Amino acid sequence: MKKRALAILMAALTASTMFAVPTFAADYSGEDPQLEKNIKILTIWAEDNDNGMLLNKICEDYQKNVNPNFTWEYEMVASDNLQQKIATLAASNDLPDLFAYEAGAPLSVLIDSGKVKNITEAVDEIGTADYLNSGAVELLKGLSGTDDLYDLPLGLNVEGFWYNKALFEQAGCEVPTTWDEFEEVLQKLSDAGIQPLTTGGSDKWGATRLINAYAVRTAGNDIMTKAADGEVPYTDEKLVAAADKIAEWAEKGYFGEGITTVDMNTAGSMLMSGKAAIFYNGSWFTQNLTDASQNPAGEDGIGFFNIPVADESISSSTSYSMNCGNILALDNDKYDEATGWFLKYFMENIGNVAMEDQGTVKGYTYDVAADDMDNYTKLVLDEIDKSTEGFAWWEAKMPSEISKTAQENVQPLLNGEMTGEEYMQSIQDVYDMQ
Amino acid sequence: MNKVLGNKKAISLFVVPALIIYTIIVMVPVIWSLYYSFFSGSPGLQWEFAGFDNYARLFRDKNFLNALTVNCKYVLVVTVGQVGMGLLLSLMFKFWLRRCKTIVRTLVFFPVVLPTVAVGQLFAKIYEIQPNYGLLNSLLDSLGFTNLVQPWIGQSSTALWALCVMDIWVAMGFYSVIFYGALLDISDDVLEAARIDGCGGWQLFKNILLPLLRPMVITSLVFSFSGTVKMFESAMALTKGGPGSATKSLSMYMYDVAFTYNKVGYASVIAIVIFLICVVGSLVINRFDVKD
Repeated sequence: MKKRALAILMAALTASTMFAVPTFAADYSGEDPQLEKNIKILTIWAEDNDNGMLLNKICEDYQKNVNPNFTWEYEMVASDNLQQKIATLAASNDLPDLFAYEAGAPLSVLIDSGKVKNITEAVDEIGTADYLNSGAVELLKGLSGTDDLYDLPLGLNVEGFWYNKALFEQAGCEVPTTWDEFEEVLQKLSDAGIQPLTTGGSDKWGATRLINAYAVRTAGNDIMTKAADGEVPYTDEKLVAAADKIAEWAEKGYFGEGITTVDMNTAGSMLMSGKAAIFYNGSWFTQNLTDASQNPAGEDGIGFFNIPVADESISSSTSYSMNCGNILALDNDKYDEATGWFLKYFMENIGNVAMEDQGTVKGYTYDVAADDMDNYTKLVLDEIDKSTEGFAWWEAKMPSEISKTAQENVQPLLNGEMTGEEYMQSIQDVYDMQ
Repeated sequence: MNKVLGNKKAISLFVVPALIIYTIIVMVPVIWSLYYSFFSGSPGLQWEFAGFDNYARLFRDKNFLNALTVNCKYVLVVTVGQVGMGLLLSLMFKFWLRRCKTIVRTLVFFPVVLPTVAVGQLFAKIYEIQPNYGLLNSLLDSLGFTNLVQPWIGQSSTALWALCVMDIWVAMGFYSVIFYGALLDISDDVLEAARIDGCGGWQLFKNILLPLLRPMVITSLVFSFSGTVKMFESAMALTKGGPGSATKSLSMYMYDVAFTYNKVGYASVIAIVIFLICVVGSLVINRFDVKD
């Protein structure tokens, strides 16, 4: 009797599994179902910073206009501590729902360990693929080295040389288009008693960008990718020549004294106040330029030129150093339907809000114009329009240990305590140990 | 009282709670680090058993050896500087300053209560060279020593010493107050007797004051040593470990390895080395405290 009862029970269980209702993916085509959700956001931007304001505005609008059951917690961490904070949170399986992070090698670690949401899949599911700027998508995929996208852009920046127009005029310089002209301009400025260049030697990344500029123009846009993949050693003669070039400028006094003690903010101020003529930085520098209290050079006192070309066949004049700034990633475990609905709203609106309120491009499509766009923002948008190809920065493809070495040792390189060869060898040594 | 302290149960009642707390706060993390040191990667992120690989790597790691050298130089100079300057200042308070003693003591002690980041910013301004000369370079320039004007914290040859000066300045007031307290405890009769016996200033210091101050000197050396061996925040505030790695200490390197390179296992090995340096250093200093 017992055996019979057991057999019936087993049969019933088997049958029930056969008729079990399969789970379907959420349907995002209709109206927002106003699911209850609290999202934790961790960023490096204060709430009154442009990106901070933007994220909070999107959340506010979503809560006010679409989903009153949505709440969010906004937390900020210093950018220097971002990687450490995320690593710690990832280790304890407590990543925030949405967090700022660094594209390239740091994000790859999270991708490999399955911590971040596959954005391509999410976007296909919610149907917002068209809202992403294709250039930004390609850039981010290239940085992660993946076929799918795992991060959301929060900026689309070009980098290049900002220059003080009054100082150029004073020294009788024209904007250079070739590398030889650029070197002539530097010499001319120096001869006129003007400090030709400044950079954030204490922040280090400003200085490595200069090495990258020369390396890319003489060895091709993909030289650093090739080096990271092991196709070309970091001690390649063209890379050594690029490092030597910066050391040579420092030795000639183009950066003034003690450049390793100057940070990027101070360097920017020096350009705007006419203490230095040229400063390499990204399009985000417009934040400082448009602030009248910071920029004594005025609304039209500072100009921009792309990295001058050494050989058009190696790296063209329309290829720019581009990046998406710090990106946003979503925790894989916490991603659910409610997050999907928020993400849908976020992607559909961020492009327009950013352009309308701040006149900035964030890597999303937009169909509005800024209310009153200033000269510097127009200048940047024109440069972005001119670009046909992008290349990444010096450390983009380097894992954190190599990146740290590349940044730290740029200071001895600027001080003349290291040659270009020794600098590149120090990077190669760490690469070999990986 | 003797009866209470003779009772083993009473002793254990007093000692055991403190012992448990100490074990949880100090010993558990140390043992935890020891356990972590046999793994590679970061917990939750590529975390794998690595045996003694991390220990083998330590002696091949140029960055570790560089940080160890920086740390040793810093500890030696700053410990001697802080305690030495503290002692000199206390002697000045006791024997030389007649007026404004309290104000001077307050001024000397003042840097102790300043936040390290503020002190770092202050000294960064003092050592500044670009865009404008800071206090030091302006002074040298106006006195005609233009050849001495240099980026004090921007070049490897001077950055560590510039940092040492800052840290000596910060803490010397603390040690001066400790030594001054000890000097006040020395009876004037002893000093007077020594003077009557014909002791000069140096002899008085060497034969009377220093032996009497020895326990305080040993304690101060241990304090200063354990503070400086952990060298982190002041270097971070003033030089961020640069230029290059000229002022990067073991703690800073450990921090980078753990949180930037995501190699918590290897960082744990460095943490254990720092722990051992602290233990051995304190033991060595205490060996000078031989009872006569």
